Amino acid sequence: MLRGSLALAAAKTVAFPHVVKAAATTATMWFSQGFVQDEDVVLRKIVADYEKASGNKIELSIIPFAPHRQKIISAITSDVVPDIMQSEPNEILQLYAWQDKWVDVSDVVETQRAQFSETALTASQAYNNVTKKRATYGVPLRAAVVPCHIWKSLVEKAAMKVEDLPKTWDAYFDFFKKVQDNLRKQGERKVYGLGFQVTASGVDPYNLFMAFLVAYGGQDVVTKDGKLHLNDPKVKQAAIKAAAYLGGAYRDGYVPPSAINWNDADDNNAFHAKLMVMDVDGTLSTEVAIKEKHPEWYFNEIVTHGVPGYPNDNAGNPVPSIVNITNGLIPKGAKNVTVAKEFLKYFIQPKVIGEFVELGLGRWLPVMPSLAKSPFWQNPKDPHLKGYVQQGLLGPTRPDYYVFNLAMAEVRAQHVWSMPMIEVAREGVKPEVAVDKAFKRIEEIFSKYPMA
Amino acid sequence: MMDTASVVDFGRPAGRRHAVWRFLRGNLKGTEYTWAVAFVVPYAAVFLTFVAYPVVYGVWMGSERGLYPELFADPIYQNTVVNTVLYLAIGVNVKLFLALLLSGFFMRPGWWMKALLLIFVLPWAVPQISTFISIHWMLNGEWGFLNNVLYTLFHVEGPHWLNDRWTALGAVIVSHIWKWTPFWTLILLAGRMAIPLDIRDTARVDGATGLRGFVYITFPLLANLYLICTLLSTIFLLGDFNAVYFVSGGGPANTTHVLATLGIRNAFDIAQPRLGVAAVMSALPLVIPLVIVLMRKLRTAEVQL
Amino acid sequence: MSTIAVDAALASAHAESRAHRAARRRRYLTTTGTTVLSLVLVVWTLLPIYNMVLISLEPEGDVFTDHIWPRVVSVESFWGVLTQGHWYLEHFWRQFANSVYLGAMVTVLTLAIGSLTSFSLGRMRIRHGWLVSNAALLTYVIPASFLAIPFYRIMQNYGMANNVWSVIAALVAFATPYAIFVFLEYGRSIPIEVDESARIDGASPVQVYLRVYLPLMAPALVAVGTYAMLLAWNEYLYQFLLLSSKSSMTVPVALAQFLSSDQSPWNYMMATAIIYAAPPVAIYYAFRRRMTAGLTMGGVKG
Repeated sequence: MLRGSLALAAAKTVAFPHVVKAAATTATMWFSQGFVQDEDVVLRKIVADYEKASGNKIELSIIPFAPHRQKIISAITSDVVPDIMQSEPNEILQLYAWQDKWVDVSDVVETQRAQFSETALTASQAYNNVTKKRATYGVPLRAAVVPCHIWKSLVEKAAMKVEDLPKTWDAYFDFFKKVQDNLRKQGERKVYGLGFQVTASGVDPYNLFMAFLVAYGGQDVVTKDGKLHLNDPKVKQAAIKAAAYLGGAYRDGYVPPSAINWNDADDNNAFHAKLMVMDVDGTLSTEVAIKEKHPEWYFNEIVTHGVPGYPNDNAGNPVPSIVNITNGLIPKGAKNVTVAKEFLKYFIQPKVIGEFVELGLGRWLPVMPSLAKSPFWQNPKDPHLKGYVQQGLLGPTRPDYYVFNLAMAEVRAQHVWSMPMIEVAREGVKPEVAVDKAFKRIEEIFSKYPMA
Repeated sequence: MMDTASVVDFGRPAGRRHAVWRFLRGNLKGTEYTWAVAFVVPYAAVFLTFVAYPVVYGVWMGSERGLYPELFADPIYQNTVVNTVLYLAIGVNVKLFLALLLSGFFMRPGWWMKALLLIFVLPWAVPQISTFISIHWMLNGEWGFLNNVLYTLFHVEGPHWLNDRWTALGAVIVSHIWKWTPFWTLILLAGRMAIPLDIRDTARVDGATGLRGFVYITFPLLANLYLICTLLSTIFLLGDFNAVYFVSGGGPANTTHVLATLGIRNAFDIAQPRLGVAAVMSALPLVIPLVIVLMRKLRTAEVQL
Repeated sequence: MSTIAVDAALASAHAESRAHRAARRRRYLTTTGTTVLSLVLVVWTLLPIYNMVLISLEPEGDVFTDHIWPRVVSVESFWGVLTQGHWYLEHFWRQFANSVYLGAMVTVLTLAIGSLTSFSLGRMRIRHGWLVSNAALLTYVIPASFLAIPFYRIMQNYGMANNVWSVIAALVAFATPYAIFVFLEYGRSIPIEVDESARIDGASPVQVYLRVYLPLMAPALVAVGTYAMLLAWNEYLYQFLLLSSKSSMTVPVALAQFLSSDQSPWNYMMATAIIYAAPPVAIYYAFRRRMTAGLTMGGVKG
């Protein structure tokens, strides 16, 4: 009996070396599907190139965008994880770092430290509530910023010119109200001047509100140490002004009424259908989506602001753009951390990562300023890329606030900022009252994540 | 459902061992008993693995005390409960009432009735995802089909149906009624056809036709079936996810959620699965009494004649 | 002839024609009422379906139209779906096959397990059978969508995530109780003597099940089978949660992808939805008579 079990154990150890060997060279990777096919194609190419160069194998699963979130949440909460993941949505880096679910990747980031922008490096860090320290848990891969997208053809139809756009914040957006008024005089019933995402779905409303908050002087709502500053009168005033302007635009009829039900794709679709003259939306997905089918729109009719173009604040000072960084992540419990790290090191080599964003048609930004100077981004024939990269990489930027305190990620997920906008827009609530309610809710959420 | 044979068996004098044996096995002997058990094993296995275990796991997930105060404090939750109650009250009753009336209508003879019934059942046969998305687009205020029709035929500018909580909720309820009335009509129709011909003939001869015939003859016979359908429909509707999700998406601003969709939203959109389970568990106090009543009804009464 | 008699005859003739007229008026009203109701029903039923067809025939994939008749008819979208010509439809046939597989397996398993159980409960009258039938009913205590979240976690633990069998398991678990009840009810109209005489003839329980029970239950089997298949085809939530890769997804999950697209190929989406709707509609229409018979549970007792 004993001999039998010994034999069995011996047999197992003989067999195991084969299994161990296989694990040493195969890593699993999950990545979300892009919005255009080219993004997936270039990712597969990079993986194939890595496999050839290293001899290791990467099992890449490209997951459709919608179930991707479910899959990630379930994987992390059940500890059945791949070796490499991506921070999509971006805040999962901070959210799960709090619970000590990521492997420290500072050694990977170190290999290209000099290349990364300041914002990218900051955004790759997160606070770990188990170790009570900040550490680098993400490898910056690509970035997104929120420019304004404008139908030049519609502005011209209203007998106005994009070149005449004012350079300060309120005046800039008021311009589009005039465009709508002119178009209405011409009998265009179904066009609206401002495509504000006054909705409680998706990430767009948060991005929109935060852009306004920062422009009105509320940029210290959460400081680098993770502390919340809602009592700061500057922050309060900025929030009230933002709610008043955004909600007011809807209330006064300058925003498509159906905006209240938009999700992240609906506003793009509405823009393509020329339902509004401009919208404030993250990445260049609006343009990239129609590049192939409607090159005339891409090259002639749509303008991206981008820098220059993106308005300054009302005092004339440039507004730093909030950048969202997508990081590569290695979850704790990954079977093959070695290969995962190796692949990520390969991935962030400037040449490789540069190709990744460029062949994705420029929907995403690189995180290395040197890459922004490439002929692709500086192409004088392309009307969108130069302004986009200037705004998101070379100009003044700041990471999004959940990088400092992950409670902000929950504020985003729960659409807390949407409520003041919607209440002012449709229920005639005074901005001060609406903002007070929102502030209360934010304080409740922040109290769940006390940081040392 | 105690069969009479076993009752008789019980009363017969027999040795102790025999009595116990018979208590366990009834009147099945030997291999027959084995087969009977074997036939039930597949369902028992399915039930234990895929129903009992998830239920236990779900109850465990939703059993954290702190979840419920957090859930009740969420303003969305309060709206959701109101929506769910309205959805149930209006949805179930209007749907079944219509089904009752239409089942009478479809009893009429003629090829035209048969053809109409064929068309009428389409909403049930076509998958929900297809039709509800179609309805969602139909109701768009700017370019939806419904408003186009209203404008083209009546020169009326239709409202933004999905922009207001009450019209959106109404749209969801109407979509549900549209989809499921055919199914319940068929069931009630079958119930009516199961009423023996001689009863129907006698009623007609006695002059109890039309409304009187319905009130005095048909409805009493259908009453039990109608009640069971109401209970079943309430339970199904409580768990209905698709109508809200695809027609209104829970919007505007999360004001048309029902408990089923709120559970999913809590679990995945804000990454708190346990809060999601808590949301659906909070409906249990309503569901359990319903199911108990349903169980009693199904056991004591015959569903058909 | 006396005038009184003539008068009486005339009066009764008048009364008769009045009655006739009244009856004719009633018939006329009923026919009009029926026609109006029929029209209302047709419009009500077909409105969303017409919208589906309208959008699928749009050439540009523009939902942003304001006409109610198709101005330009283009079957480009249908062609695109059938040839997998669009990026989101790359794996359409694979996903369609997954849906068919799902529907078939759910149907077959529900029928098999349901009929076996109801045979044991209702025909063989196993002791304490009520335990099983009540347990089955308890399945409905917590509606299916409520169980989605724990179910999903459990499938992860069983290692069955992203496997169509996890969805099959869930749907069979939810469809079988209904099957058991329908079979039990329907079985009541089949006298137990049939079973007993087969048993006396020396048939084993398995043979009674296969040779006597199943054939007699045929209409109920068809009714329940159709119901199970429609359930699987109609279902969305479990498929969405449990199937997440392009090759394991079913068509509803693929359809949902279109909803988050920036490119609005809505005509493709509606064409996909229509093609997806074809099998259940076809199956329902093929089996509708059997279905009604099965639902009637034994037919009219004359």
